[in-house]
Amino acid sequence: MSETTGKGEPENSQQSGEARLTVPQIEAELEQFPAPVAERFRMAQSQLTGRLADETLLEWAYTGLEIARKTVRSWEAASEYFDSSIAVQRQLPSGQFLRWGRTGAGLCNDSPSLAVAYFKASPAAMLRLRPRYIDDWATVTRSLYRGTWKSSALAARLFESTPRLLETLSFDEFCSFGGFLEVLSRRSYDSASESLNQGIALFPKLGTDSDHFIALARAVSESSWRQVKELFDAASDSLTNLPSAQRVALLSLARRLNAMGSTESGPLLRAGSKAVSSVSADSRDRLLELTDRLASVHAAAAPEFLRSAPNVLERVTFQQLVEWHSRGSEISRENPEAAVAYFKLESSAATEALDALSSSIELSRVRDILRMYCQALTGRSIEVSAAQQLADKGIGWFQGELPTTEGTTVYLPSVINRYTSKEENFSFYKVVSTHQVGHIEFGSFEFDFSQPSGMFDDLRPDLPGARKLAQEIEKDKRLKAQMELAQSPEATALIEGVVAAPAEGEGAAAAQREFLTDMSRFFDLFPDNKLALDVFTIVESTRVDSMVMGRYQGISSMYRKVQSGALETRPELEELPARESIVEFLIRWSLGQRDGLVAPKEHLESARKVRRLLDLMSTPEATVEDAAEATIRIYSILSDVRNEEVDEDDFESIDPEEQEEGEDQSGGNEEVNRDDVVQQFMQGAQDKAGEEGESDEDGPETEDAEDQLPGEEEYSSPQEIDYRGEFKPELSQLLSQLQMAQGGEMGDEIDGMEPITQEQLEEMMKNAPELNQQDMQEGEEGQEAPNTDELLENLMKELQKRDPQNQQFQQGPMQHVDEDGGPLDATEPNTFTYDEWDFRAGEYKPRWCLVHQKEMADGEPNFFRETLIDNASLLARIRKQFELVVPEMYRKQKRLEDGEEQDLDAVLEAVIDMKIGITPDEKVYWRRNKTERSVSVAFLLDMSASTAEAIDEAKKPTDDWGAPDDPVEYMVWLRSRRAEGLRRSYKRIIDVEKEGIVLLVNALETLGDTYGIYGFSGYGRENVEFYVIKDLEERFSENVPRRIDRIAPLHATRMGPAIRHAAQKLAEVDSKSRFLFLISDGRPQDRGYSREGVEKEYAVHDTRQALIEAKRMGITPFCLTVDKSGHDYLKTMMEDFSYEVLPDISMLPMRLPQLYRALTM
Amino acid sequence: MATTNDYREIRVEEYVVEKEPFYVPSSDEIEVFEAAYRQRVPVLLKGPTGTGKTRFVEYMAWRLSEKLSAPAATQGENRPANGHLPLVTVACHEDLTASDLVGRYLLDSNGTRWIDGPLTRAVKAGGICYLDEVVEARKDTTVIIHPLTDHRRTLTIDKLGEVIEAADGFLLVVSYNPGYQNAMKDLKHSTRQRFVALEFDFPDAERETQIIAHESGVDEKNAELLARLGQKIRNLREHGLEEGASTRVLIYAGRLIKEGISPRRACQVGVTWGITDDPQIQLTIDEVVSSIFP
Repeated sequence: MSETTGKGEPENSQQSGEARLTVPQIEAELEQFPAPVAERFRMAQSQLTGRLADETLLEWAYTGLEIARKTVRSWEAASEYFDSSIAVQRQLPSGQFLRWGRTGAGLCNDSPSLAVAYFKASPAAMLRLRPRYIDDWATVTRSLYRGTWKSSALAARLFESTPRLLETLSFDEFCSFGGFLEVLSRRSYDSASESLNQGIALFPKLGTDSDHFIALARAVSESSWRQVKELFDAASDSLTNLPSAQRVALLSLARRLNAMGSTESGPLLRAGSKAVSSVSADSRDRLLELTDRLASVHAAAAPEFLRSAPNVLERVTFQQLVEWHSRGSEISRENPEAAVAYFKLESSAATEALDALSSSIELSRVRDILRMYCQALTGRSIEVSAAQQLADKGIGWFQGELPTTEGTTVYLPSVINRYTSKEENFSFYKVVSTHQVGHIEFGSFEFDFSQPSGMFDDLRPDLPGARKLAQEIEKDKRLKAQMELAQSPEATALIEGVVAAPAEGEGAAAAQREFLTDMSRFFDLFPDNKLALDVFTIVESTRVDSMVMGRYQGISSMYRKVQSGALETRPELEELPARESIVEFLIRWSLGQRDGLVAPKEHLESARKVRRLLDLMSTPEATVEDAAEATIRIYSILSDVRNEEVDEDDFESIDPEEQEEGEDQSGGNEEVNRDDVVQQFMQGAQDKAGEEGESDEDGPETEDAEDQLPGEEEYSSPQEIDYRGEFKPELSQLLSQLQMAQGGEMGDEIDGMEPITQEQLEEMMKNAPELNQQDMQEGEEGQEAPNTDELLENLMKELQKRDPQNQQFQQGPMQHVDEDGGPLDATEPNTFTYDEWDFRAGEYKPRWCLVHQKEMADGEPNFFRETLIDNASLLARIRKQFELVVPEMYRKQKRLEDGEEQDLDAVLEAVIDMKIGITPDEKVYWRRNKTERSVSVAFLLDMSASTAEAIDEAKKPTDDWGAPDDPVEYMVWLRSRRAEGLRRSYKRIIDVEKEGIVLLVNALETLGDTYGIYGFSGYGRENVEFYVIKDLEERFSENVPRRIDRIAPLHATRMGPAIRHAAQKLAEVDSKSRFLFLISDGRPQDRGYSREGVEKEYAVHDTRQALIEAKRMGITPFCLTVDKSGHDYLKTMMEDFSYEVLPDISMLPMRLPQLYRALTM
Repeated sequence: MATTNDYREIRVEEYVVEKEPFYVPSSDEIEVFEAAYRQRVPVLLKGPTGTGKTRFVEYMAWRLSEKLSAPAATQGENRPANGHLPLVTVACHEDLTASDLVGRYLLDSNGTRWIDGPLTRAVKAGGICYLDEVVEARKDTTVIIHPLTDHRRTLTIDKLGEVIEAADGFLLVVSYNPGYQNAMKDLKHSTRQRFVALEFDFPDAERETQIIAHESGVDEKNAELLARLGQKIRNLREHGLEEGASTRVLIYAGRLIKEGISPRRACQVGVTWGITDDPQIQLTIDEVVSSIFP
């Protein structure tokens, strides 16, 4: 401070040493300088004259002259001085005013541009600056100046910004900010000037807490100045949303941590503010206090705690977080390193502690148990997956958080956190699973249109389907047209006779054939199939619920609890329009509500009727067909209820007891009049069919609108029920039918099924109520439903995956080709020919396949090594199992001619034999001997393309959509994809096969068995590729792991020749027992490995024949497959042979050694 | 009272099933067995553990015995010596040799003494010889069995230098569990084609309920639930469980329930823990139990 003013001149001492100039003289002097100086002087003078005493004015003017005279460029400063004077003078008493000028003049000694900035900023600054601080202001700012251009620019910028800064900062704060800038500027002017800019923007947001921030910034600038920018960024991103109290606490925490050596203040602020915002207002201080306490134990752990807190809080309450924190703190005291891992949620102690505290249940943790539970209940291979996975497939299910099933997999929410205890949350999973799997167990998807109902007189056959009607209308039109053409009555009769009769039968048959599923056919009966679906959903879910409650009494109390939980979120009946309120009434009834139910007065009787129909579903005999018939009746009743707004007073309560009086076991046929229903449906169907005939493209929405009577509201579906989730009978039936066809469970029934065409699917999607796009979009906001084309494409893909036999979808080289041609010759080295079995002809096709034996190229040894490391514990277990075998081999060997000692039993027998006069056995010795364990085994690995399938579908790689067109770009893209391939994060079937082999190889080396590893693939009969990874007699060398690495999915699977070749190799080995271990992921398949229409059987039979041949050669074959639907063809293929189907591919590495052991010992 | 024996000593070949064993047929196995017996065709019983194979043999032994001693059947050549049909059961194990079945010389103070093995005794007494889990026995046993199972019906005793023609009532019955496929322990074709085979599987729910109720004395309701549990557990057979729950364990659980143990606990100790050591599957079964039992 003293520096600036020190240079300055004592009061009233200017104009010494020179004859005192007068104001006009000064003006004259000023004329020497560029014009603006004098101009501004005059302007200011005219304003100030009269406001200042003459003496003062003179001094003012003289200061200006002095400034102008200082250096070459200082005239600019002078000009600014004069300019600002007018405004500044108004703020300051004259003494201060003159002092202001002299301070500026002092600045000009250092740098005129500083002075310019000073003067320029002054008028605004003076509004906020007390006069006595002016010198300090100049001093602080000037301290940034170090004689360089950059420093002067920075200082000038600070002058310039002062007015804005002072809007929020006190002068003290301003000074410390200046001090901070000074420290930082010693490191980097750029950084300092950026901080200045950021500060200008930031401080208004921080308000009175700026001083804390500035203190932190200063500390950071001293300890790790490079972090300053991030600190400002973080502060402006995150601090600004925080309430002041926590902001201050967080800042001082950051300062403390910084003092303790943490350099990550910016990230800390971000993490802290995120954490703070994730808790409720009253816990915020506590959270920071916890962090603070942790900081005093172990500084590095504190930021990690803040960072993890939001994640932890997703699973536990705040109170539990405190608990979790205190356990972590204990660890910190003992082992600071472990504490960091703990709070990073990276240590098992942390997750265990969290698990113990948390009441939420994640699907991933209970998936296996739920899967087996579902399998136990249904006796089928049911998978359990997160619901989001199904939604991601985009095949018609849109909700990622609702449970559902498509007949083979039960989809569940990925986490349950609705109750306060783990047990209850798990029970909820159980209830949901039981309900979903109930649809499978109790046959919801096995609906058969022509199966009669046991409770009702069937209405289904009598109702006209919309499609059939449309066809009839079409036919009528045609007939009429023809009638008009043929004028004479005779001709008409003739035409009618000819055209109508056959068309009748054909039309009906055609209509039936077009439906993909029985469910589609059923929904086609209804004029408004959206309502029909809603009703059917309620009815069928009720049936399933009551079946579950009847059969699984143990779960019923939890079931009821879930139901009453669901009731709490239902909309009020009185607020709904009439029809919807009755639908809602049914839902509430089905969820077990009995009291407080109301229905519109006018429709009380209808409500009672539908309720009685619904109650029939609770009898244990009810079938899905009964549910369908009940749906028709309820639908019919509901259609007569106009969906109009009902006044709250016009609702009347329904007595829960009433139901009993009307009960007379009529089977529900009495509720509606049969003919009326038929008539009603006929009318509706005609309307619909007519409309469709006129305008094909109109969705159901417009029809509703047309039908709507005045005062009637458009019907909208009820809100979903959490545990029942999404119920899509049509799609599920379609998908599960295919799955079963694939698995062969439906056998002959499905063989007649024609492949599904795209047109059929489109048709189904157009009509299926459950795929109604508009509905989905209207429903949940933010749920972007895929458009119809996408949906169609996804669905086709899914169908193809489920049924690869479906030729319609087949692409690529796997087209069915009936191979012609004769025998092949093995002319090249390392090629071999084998016969192939044609089961239809009952004979071998001689030299039909050409096997090319190749040695697998060397890859990297990493896969082998990593697998061993990753599976260390499993490996240890396998080793132990195998080592147990070794002592067995060292068992006493009895009945030897020579040995360590005589065997007492044998000696006794020999003595007896001698006594009774029989030649005694001379083999009376025993010896501890290593028995010759003479086992050879060939492992045959399926390397077909299908093994590239990811085992976890959610992690599937993206397809080649993004491939650029330009060749150069394409190469770059391809290379990057290859690189990605190396870093593949998802696991394929083949990877698991490889893992299994690696683990086994390791164990086999312990045993000393002779083993070979081979892979096979190929395309066509001329190209059966047979890769040698390790030959039988070959010793294990470092090349083997390298070759294992190269095992990769290739082409098709022609198993027969590969088996024959491997068997041939085994036969050449001298060994007591020989095994052929086939590891595959599915059916044998190859181009031409088939005959027209019997594709599956041909390959299966040839493979079987190859196995029989192997058996004849004294080889025991064993097949391990990971094909989930494998059972049926394996039954044929492996009859009399041993095999195992793994339900879960990930079991393979564990199961393979077990099987090997069981098989060979 | 204290002095009277609470047990009975019966010679192997004289053991006759006197009380009617409880047996619920699943189809026509009784008639088939009777027919086979009349024709003296050896019988192979296939099926998983606890499906009632042993019980069936006992039942048939009793039933045939009753028929034989009934007046109508007294004439005719099929009649065994004492009017009853003895049942000789041998549980086979991996160290069971041919001489364990046929017999052996023993040393005594005077020299040697021959002792007939159970098979020889059954052959002589003309009873049913039931070799349980026959694949477990050593391979040399099959050589002994073969001549007994065809038209010869003879037992060759090398050591004695004798051939015994089987008494008329003799029939060989073997059982075997194909459940787990072990290449080393499979029944040879040359052996299996000497028998008529009856397949046993777990009874259907209704039959099993009946069996459980009868055998354990538990009430109908719980018996039904136990039977349901059994079925659900058997669904897991292909998904990690090697053998499903046998009717036997369900009966044991039923007995515990009858003694006042709570059903869930009874199932846990009687069923869950017994059939598997895999904690994951145990948990699953516990869940199934808690769904079924209130």
